[in-house]
Amino acid sequence: MNEALIIVLAVLATTGRVLALITLSIVSGWILAYGAIKNRVFENLFIAFVEIFESVPVITFFPLVLIIFVANIGGSLGVELAADFLVFTAVVWNIWIGEYQAFKTIPKEMIEIAENYNYGLLDRLSSMYIPFSIPRIAANLFPSVADGFFYISVSEVFTVGLTSYSTFGVGSLLLQFLDNKNYVNIALTMTILGIIIILIVLAMRVFTNRAVAKYTVDTDMPIMRRGRPRLKQSATMSAVMSINPLVKLAKYNRQRQSRVDPEDLFSSIARKSRAGIIVGLVGILLLGYLSFEAYVIISSVSSSQWSYLFSQTPSLLYGLLLDYLRVLTITVASLVFAITVGYLLATRRKVESVGIPAIQAISSYPVPVYFPFVFIALYPITTSILGPHTEEAFVLVLGFLSTFYYVFYGFWMGMKAMPVEYNEIMRNMDMSFFKKLRYVILPSSFPYLITGISSTMNSAWGGLEIAEFWPGISSGQTLQVHQGLMKSIDVATKSGNIMLAAWASFLFAIVVAIYSIVFTKKMMDLAKKKYVAEEGIYST
Amino acid sequence: MEVVGLDFSYDNGYKVFQDINLTIEPGKFVSIVGPSGVGKSTLLRLIGAFLSPEKGKVLLHGKPVLRPTPLISMVHQSIVTFPWMTAKENVLLSLKTRTFDRDKMEDAASSALDMVGLQGFEDLYPKEMSGGMRQRVAIARSLAGEPNILLMDEPFAHLDELTAEGLRQDIYNILFNGDATLENVIMVSHNLTEVVELSDVVYILNNNPATIVGRIDITMPRPRIHRDPEFDRYLDVLYGYLTKKKGVLNE
Repeated sequence: MNEALIIVLAVLATTGRVLALITLSIVSGWILAYGAIKNRVFENLFIAFVEIFESVPVITFFPLVLIIFVANIGGSLGVELAADFLVFTAVVWNIWIGEYQAFKTIPKEMIEIAENYNYGLLDRLSSMYIPFSIPRIAANLFPSVADGFFYISVSEVFTVGLTSYSTFGVGSLLLQFLDNKNYVNIALTMTILGIIIILIVLAMRVFTNRAVAKYTVDTDMPIMRRGRPRLKQSATMSAVMSINPLVKLAKYNRQRQSRVDPEDLFSSIARKSRAGIIVGLVGILLLGYLSFEAYVIISSVSSSQWSYLFSQTPSLLYGLLLDYLRVLTITVASLVFAITVGYLLATRRKVESVGIPAIQAISSYPVPVYFPFVFIALYPITTSILGPHTEEAFVLVLGFLSTFYYVFYGFWMGMKAMPVEYNEIMRNMDMSFFKKLRYVILPSSFPYLITGISSTMNSAWGGLEIAEFWPGISSGQTLQVHQGLMKSIDVATKSGNIMLAAWASFLFAIVVAIYSIVFTKKMMDLAKKKYVAEEGIYST
Repeated sequence: MEVVGLDFSYDNGYKVFQDINLTIEPGKFVSIVGPSGVGKSTLLRLIGAFLSPEKGKVLLHGKPVLRPTPLISMVHQSIVTFPWMTAKENVLLSLKTRTFDRDKMEDAASSALDMVGLQGFEDLYPKEMSGGMRQRVAIARSLAGEPNILLMDEPFAHLDELTAEGLRQDIYNILFNGDATLENVIMVSHNLTEVVELSDVVYILNNNPATIVGRIDITMPRPRIHRDPEFDRYLDVLYGYLTKKKGVLNE
């Protein structure tokens, strides 16, 4: 088959995989979030589950994925499901939690209207809950797409011991071209992937603008209608029809007439609560199954294997400490970048109109795809400057490139969400840049920053997992650090020692979960309690 | 202060103002009234240099105002406080741009809060205060910066009627009590009663693009009583300008 066609198909396969899994995340999130707000027990389980897994980097799931899908299911289906599961776990958590938060914070008045007219489950979802969750979904799409593409290189090709598994997609195809030193096809693949990513970013921008204009409460943004250029949209028939209050009133009356049968009232209320219980039960069963799988895996380990694992634990924990220092370095660098560039973009409209789409496109382009070329190009000069620390520097750079955008977006969105009056007061008082930052901008964007920092730290682990042990990054050369937990997991997986990889992941998950509870959650609570800029604007 | 030949258009090309001229004598409380959407708040932002005019200039003490300055301080319609700061810290914010020592700044903040009647509430956070108290904090913050001109954009719009009336009764004395450095207050409002109650001079903004269509000097003694027939007469004149009832104007 024509190679160009294969490349296009591979790019489309990967893109389709990422987008389909994001769609699955969105749809499953609606069901789970609705179950959570209707059933207190399920809500508590759901929140605990999502909060822990949102805090635990996706790479933690890798050994579990290998055991469940590759060993148990096997074949090309097992490999495909393993790749899908990895990408799914990369994109799903923030979408689920965003939808839950939207469902949870839907205005009481809207719910009362639904109760007033005795809406059924589907009507409630389609006319209230789902539209209300659209802006949250839009806000989470950029990081989800970026994360999804980032993990294609890990998920489409992986090695366990002597066996290499791969599924069709741009990640596996690129590796094949790299092995054959087919640089023309590599360049072609990267270009096609770049075009597709730019198209996706543009589509997401349109979607986000529409979501904000149409589905948020009290926005100044004009509502855009589908399918027409912006300048002419207000003149189209569909636009006129859709804003015609009579059309709305007619629809409203039709809906109302179909809902006023008093005999159905009580049976309908009972149906609604039954639906909530059923959704809740399905969720509990799902969580139960996952817990059972974990129990089966743990109970299958013998006592001698346990003592081997315990003997390795101090070294693994030391590696984890080193990795935390790396994550901290990456986070500080990301924060400095976010505050300087984020401030520049948020305060200069023309620079922003070019800079934000550019950063969105760059951050969505998977780092592992282009990083080997950066490595090959810069290795000689970097070695001459940094000597033995060269590889450490490259690892940190890859970590930075793979995760800086979370804290960047957090800060930028915090600045954009800052009440316009704050900006006027800062200008009025002729504040210096640092005074603005200290007294107004950082406190005002604190909740966004904490979310961004937390995501950056979590996501940095994925970058480290790839960078700390990368055999064949350039011909005959392996990029690796001296010691690190991510390297230990990589080496154990590639040498077929899945048990050690799973144990290291388990230790890692526990530490990260504790960190999340004692640090991230406390910071979020503080942000919610004290640093809510919207509370600074009092209007009736 | 003087506003000379101001023209302004929005980014989309819509012309908001044409040839706006205001002369504001020292010591006067000036109000700008006009129909909803005519551009009253926009004019206030042009005077404060938060927006740049297409043509014309704003002069303070004979010098053009080219960028926002603490000398011209804005009090917003949406009452703006910083929720992570106490009342005193909110007021201190306008002093931190100057090089005072800490004690002097604390004293200045306390006296600004005293001036607006918030002594004893220095350590409360905005969310622990009523709307009226928050607006007093915002006014204290502006006054602590020792401005020459205070711009007030519908400052009572988000307060309930009783609170607004209480604050209105206090405001003139607070602003022109001799301790403050104020030369002028320029207020935008659609509430004609509060305009007549507070103002020395009223400029009426109307037409499309908007221009100044009239100036009224209110010479009633203070405090002004709403039931006073003269109060009603001023209200009628303002109402006439805004509704273009020529008969009332001629009278």
